[in-house]
Amino acid sequence: MIGTGIKRGTAELAILSVLEEGPLHGYEMARRIEEQTKGALRFTLAALYPMLYRMEQRGWIRGAWETSQSGRRKRCYRLTPAGKKKLSPLRKEWAELFGALKRLTKVAHA
Amino acid sequence: MPDWRKLVQRRLSGLALDFTEKEEIHTELAAHLEESYEALCTEGLPEQDAVQKTLAQAGDWKDLQRKIFSVKRRRQPMHKRVHQLWIPGLLAMALSTAFLMTVQRLGFQPRMVSWKEADIVFNVPWLLLLPFIGAVGTYISSRAGGTRGTVLLASVFPVIALTAAFLLMFPISWIIERIMGSQGDFRNVAAVLLEDGIGWILVPGAALLAGGLFTHALFGRRSSSRETAIG
Repeated sequence: MIGTGIKRGTAELAILSVLEEGPLHGYEMARRIEEQTKGALRFTLAALYPMLYRMEQRGWIRGAWETSQSGRRKRCYRLTPAGKKKLSPLRKEWAELFGALKRLTKVAHA
Repeated sequence: MPDWRKLVQRRLSGLALDFTEKEEIHTELAAHLEESYEALCTEGLPEQDAVQKTLAQAGDWKDLQRKIFSVKRRRQPMHKRVHQLWIPGLLAMALSTAFLMTVQRLGFQPRMVSWKEADIVFNVPWLLLLPFIGAVGTYISSRAGGTRGTVLLASVFPVIALTAAFLLMFPISWIIERIMGSQGDFRNVAAVLLEDGIGWILVPGAALLAGGLFTHALFGRRSSSRETAIG
């Protein structure tokens, strides 16, 4: 079973990574993550929004209300300088972790 | 097409957050569901299936409500208190002081009313202005999402500050009198406390509270009718 800390960590990395490409609102973000991970990472509302609010409180992302051409109000999130700063060590940590797991499974199969 | 906003409001009805904060969350989640539903319809899914699939994507609503509440509640309470109490309260205090000074400069003399051997001073023009100041404090606090208790506290903030000053002033003056060797009469102190307490705290407090209650009733009714119209 994957621990809460690992799940949260991967979700944070996924959100920060898609926002690095440009500002997005919640639905676009979830869709983009699902597409780019070929369905491996899927966000429900219950997973996505509390995570976004938490990351906003930490100052990694900033949300702002925008009105679309259809008149629908959407909260658009963008990466803050603190979020950009957080992204690179987070990537490194996860790359190290996955590298270690890969090596471990190879040894186990050998 | 379902009314996604109503659905979100219903599913998150137990979310104990400020009105404005809840409204924003409802709007954001409803927009997400609406977009998801529209995308599924565009892909060719029948309406009923699109609704079911969209609802399945939402996940556990109770879990969502619990998580949102937990995240939002963790936000620094000091930040909220500043906007809901300190800013409106201090503004009300500054306004009441400025009005009192203006009234005195304009030459309005305070009226003295004798009651049971006590002479109580009332500044009538100032007292007449106080309900408006109480209303301003309440309005600003309400806009910041203050609860009933907080908005009323913001409205009477000037007299709370004055009470604190009174409570500090009397022991200090008593200590000074003791140091200087003069024997202060406690009955005199009590009489002054009563006179000033009525003229500068109780009656102005009632005037501020009257303005505060009126504005709260007006603003509260508007907020609740807005909520009914949406939900």
